[in-house]
Amino acid sequence: MTCDKYENALRLAAASNGELDAKLARHLERCSTCRMTLRAERKLFSRIDSALRAQVNEDPRPGFLTQLRLQLSKELSARPGSDRVWHVAGAALALVLMAMFYPLVNARQSSVQGNLQTPTIKVPQRAGVTQSARASEDLGVRSRHYSKRPVVQSAVPKEPEVLVPPDEQKAFAQFVACVARGDAIARAVVTPAANQTVNRNTELPQVSSVDIADLQLGRARQEEWIDQTGSSE
Amino acid sequence: MQEFTWPGRRAETELAFDLEKAALRREFEQRLEECGTLAFRVARGVLHNAADAEDVAQEAVLRSYRRFARLRDPSRFRAWLVRISFRLALDHGRSARRREQRETAWATDLPKPTPEDIAASNEFGRRLEEAMAALSEKSRLVLLLTSMNGHSLEEVAELLQLPVGTVKSRLHSARKQLAEKLR
Repeated sequence: MTCDKYENALRLAAASNGELDAKLARHLERCSTCRMTLRAERKLFSRIDSALRAQVNEDPRPGFLTQLRLQLSKELSARPGSDRVWHVAGAALALVLMAMFYPLVNARQSSVQGNLQTPTIKVPQRAGVTQSARASEDLGVRSRHYSKRPVVQSAVPKEPEVLVPPDEQKAFAQFVACVARGDAIARAVVTPAANQTVNRNTELPQVSSVDIADLQLGRARQEEWIDQTGSSE
Repeated sequence: MQEFTWPGRRAETELAFDLEKAALRREFEQRLEECGTLAFRVARGVLHNAADAEDVAQEAVLRSYRRFARLRDPSRFRAWLVRISFRLALDHGRSARRREQRETAWATDLPKPTPEDIAASNEFGRRLEEAMAALSEKSRLVLLLTSMNGHSLEEVAELLQLPVGTVKSRLHSARKQLAEKLR
């Protein structure tokens, strides 16, 4: 059993195929069992190595490289044509996409321009304060999150837009045209409110009281009744 | 009749492009013989079947050719091809095993091999294949490359971009594991 402690050393020696440790060499001189074990281990590693070498160093059959060259030539001859096909297909796809999206982009641009031309009511705003921050202040809540991202400046002015229902757009356009021409009626409508700004912190504009005369009730004369209804009872 | 040409594409550009491609192809063909064999051997080491290894090697070489122009460092081509071949061979082996499992599941009625057949087959080779399949991919690649003729430890280390010590330790560990399974 004293050979047990040499077991690992024997296997290591067989695996590394190097020189033996002096102590192990002395033991092997005396122990025939360990000599046999070492021989068996060396034989095993030698079989493994030779099997691996035989497997890995096998040459491909003679026609392999010729076949490879042939495949490579096919690849070379096929690629330029396929490239051209893809170029044409890509260009066609790009044209189709442009044709599809151009009307949409155009319509969007014209609607933005139209919005810019619509008359608006100016509402004073404090610079640099966002709507949500102001709402928080109004509620007495201090926002704990401050975004580091810069505020995106929109191309559209900050005044609220006037939204016109579709069925009133024609009439509104005529009205705007009247204002632009400076017609007397349009001036009369627009002028009193032109410089007026609505402050949301103050009361609504005061309207002077209107006196309505008491209704006079009495018996209607028959002639008047006939004139109004066009019939007689 | 004049041949149609794309607008803006000049003949000089085409000529330069063709020349560049021709140079690239010449450079690749110079390496083809060596690299084709290398790819085949790596695949053969994984697949244990010459026909499958040829298919894999061919695919690996074609793939490497398609990307050859984009390779920044041409001196790394061999290492690159080894990796492609190894990965493709592993994938091929996995799919072949799955196919085999499917086929054996359906072919349970086939006659079983006789004891004589089993004895006639190369038992050691079969066990070695099993033991190799149980190794980690890293150890397996090191073992295959070091077993190839003309590949010293230093060359394998350069191919795999690893320190020589790491290659040595992986090789030692792989051989030990194989011996344990075959003992």
